[in-house]
Amino acid sequence: MSKRGFYPPRRFPRMSPGRRRFLQLSTAAMAGAVLTNCAGNIAQNDADSTDTEAEATASNEGSASGDDTLHIYSWSSYFDDDMIAGFEEATGIRVVADIYDSNETMLARLQAGGGGQYSIIYPSDYMIEQMIEMDMLLELDHDELPDLADLIEQWQSPPYDPGNDYSIPYSWGTTGLIYNVAELGEVEDWEYLWENQEELTRRMTLLNDVREVAGITLKMLGYSNSTEDAAEVEEAFAMLEELKPALSAFTTDGWRDQIVPGDLLIAHAYSVDALDAIAENDDLEYVVPSSGATVWTDGIAIPTTAPNVEAAYAWMNYVLNPESAAEVMSRLQLATPNKLTLDSLDSELKADTRLFPPEEVLAKCEALAPVGDAIDLYDRLWTQLTST
Amino acid sequence: MATSPPIASRETASPASVFQRLKQRATKLVEPLVLLLPAGVWLLLLLVIPTLMILQLSLLPDFKPGNPLPSYGLGNYLKILQDDVYLRVIFRSFIFAIASTLLCLVLGFPVAYWIALMAPQRWRNLLLLAFVLPLWTSSLLRSYAWITILRPTGVLNTFLNSVGLPSLQILNTQSAVVLGLAYNFLPYMVLILYASLEKLDRRLLEAAADLGAPPTQVFAKITVPQSLPGIAAGCLLVFITSLGDFVVPELLGGASSMTMARLVYNQFLGAARNWGFGSGLSMLLILAVSLTIALLLKYGDRKADTLV
Repeated sequence: MSKRGFYPPRRFPRMSPGRRRFLQLSTAAMAGAVLTNCAGNIAQNDADSTDTEAEATASNEGSASGDDTLHIYSWSSYFDDDMIAGFEEATGIRVVADIYDSNETMLARLQAGGGGQYSIIYPSDYMIEQMIEMDMLLELDHDELPDLADLIEQWQSPPYDPGNDYSIPYSWGTTGLIYNVAELGEVEDWEYLWENQEELTRRMTLLNDVREVAGITLKMLGYSNSTEDAAEVEEAFAMLEELKPALSAFTTDGWRDQIVPGDLLIAHAYSVDALDAIAENDDLEYVVPSSGATVWTDGIAIPTTAPNVEAAYAWMNYVLNPESAAEVMSRLQLATPNKLTLDSLDSELKADTRLFPPEEVLAKCEALAPVGDAIDLYDRLWTQLTST
Repeated sequence: MATSPPIASRETASPASVFQRLKQRATKLVEPLVLLLPAGVWLLLLLVIPTLMILQLSLLPDFKPGNPLPSYGLGNYLKILQDDVYLRVIFRSFIFAIASTLLCLVLGFPVAYWIALMAPQRWRNLLLLAFVLPLWTSSLLRSYAWITILRPTGVLNTFLNSVGLPSLQILNTQSAVVLGLAYNFLPYMVLILYASLEKLDRRLLEAAADLGAPPTQVFAKITVPQSLPGIAAGCLLVFITSLGDFVVPELLGGASSMTMARLVYNQFLGAARNWGFGSGLSMLLILAVSLTIALLLKYGDRKADTLV
């Protein structure tokens, strides 16, 4: 895959979790159609259960071969052909993989009843919490998952799913700053953006994500990045309004084509994307800011509508198995939450602090959690921030 | 006796002919129904019913999927109309759409005029094809291409610098949005204007010139009025599609480019997941577009009738 060249194909193989705007936009038209279908289902919530039943039988009929096919619904960067071939060889179960580009797209499809064939999905932390609340995830039988004990302590009982009752963690990372170290020198904290606002004018971007952007100033102010306190949220957005005139854009991956040739000096980015861009330009560096950042986890879960639960457990065990996982994770350049997998990684990869930040930095990081109805306030302030 | 057979035949033929006439009338009714059925079903399933669904959702204040159903009310609409944040977004969306429509008209009219009236006949199809060609790639790709052109060290600025001109800061500004929208929808404008200008009655042009009208007057009094229906149709199409486009503002618009369409997107596929509010916004968008169509079509037709 050529490093420079036309945008989408170059992107594809390293598309990062939930964080690729491109596909998201291009599937929007399709999503529109999906949403239209949803209206019927969601507008009559009481008819919901019958819908899902109908869906389940329909999908069973669809895959007449029954038990030997597993449909997975995943981020594009979380599997490759070799991984699937390895699974098919080991279990004899045929895998059909579909990809999505944002948690919300995946959720909308399942809610609309268009996802009845999937037995494996890859929701992110906050989405797992949300889907548990909505009774959309199957409670896992831990006896079926012997390797679960190998997880690093932090993921033995993550806050979004205590005890890993409904999901297993698959990959994790942080949200920090990618910057041009040759021009700016070392950057340590978010403060840098405000202090050097003038030099950075129109040469910095923040993510196009309300929660991540609000998380910056909430962390700087010492609050939780998932606060539901209206005063704290308003204070955070007031700080963002100060920075706003100097911002070039809110973009989730548009920064990349501009920071590599040097148009941008600094950008708010997901660690996976940043590592990818650094590979293209040695002057770039990634930092997890010292006042703390978002740490995100993408998990694997079984929807309650899953037609092939047995195969889903087989997939989870395949993913958790350190022998097969180490190879896959280093090939896909993902940070694993599995101790044994981590141990069997290349020492060079293991020592990469951008992929595996040091303990003291990680301690200040926090996962984004759902904020309930406070999201309406976030969204209104976000609309204001992006429209004035 | 000689007259009886005709009477008899008239009597026997009468019910048959009534039946015949009924049959004819029925065919007259059925034929258009059969012809309209496919389109009718299509419109009903994919336009009317979904729109009614959106209408229903828009009457459920702050409805989020998975939450219990709120009681019906106008909360979503009040939320939009009482908050200047949202009103400003709506205002900006209209400014973007109007500006890009005008830009398309200014850029498109001379081109369409030239192709329709001045270019050699054998070139015309080729020229039109050249204009339609960009439509064969996705508008998303074309927007990304504009990023490459407009960014600070991009194609445009490299060129400007090489001829000794200063760099332009266009990417991530509102002008970039208007530029991107106008570029995306220019082919539609040109095609529609071409179709309208091609039918221009040239004898009128010649007559006006013969009677001593200077070219500017011929243009203002003959060409423009005759092509007004085309201008109206072209503007309408560009305006509506610009108003609903969210890719261009999102990719080219920078930090202050929230539009109605982007807001709707955020309500459905963003963090807010407020489908009720999003539906309210959609209904307003649909209403605005319908009103524009009604007004412009009426205006366009009247002009066309009185002046052509």
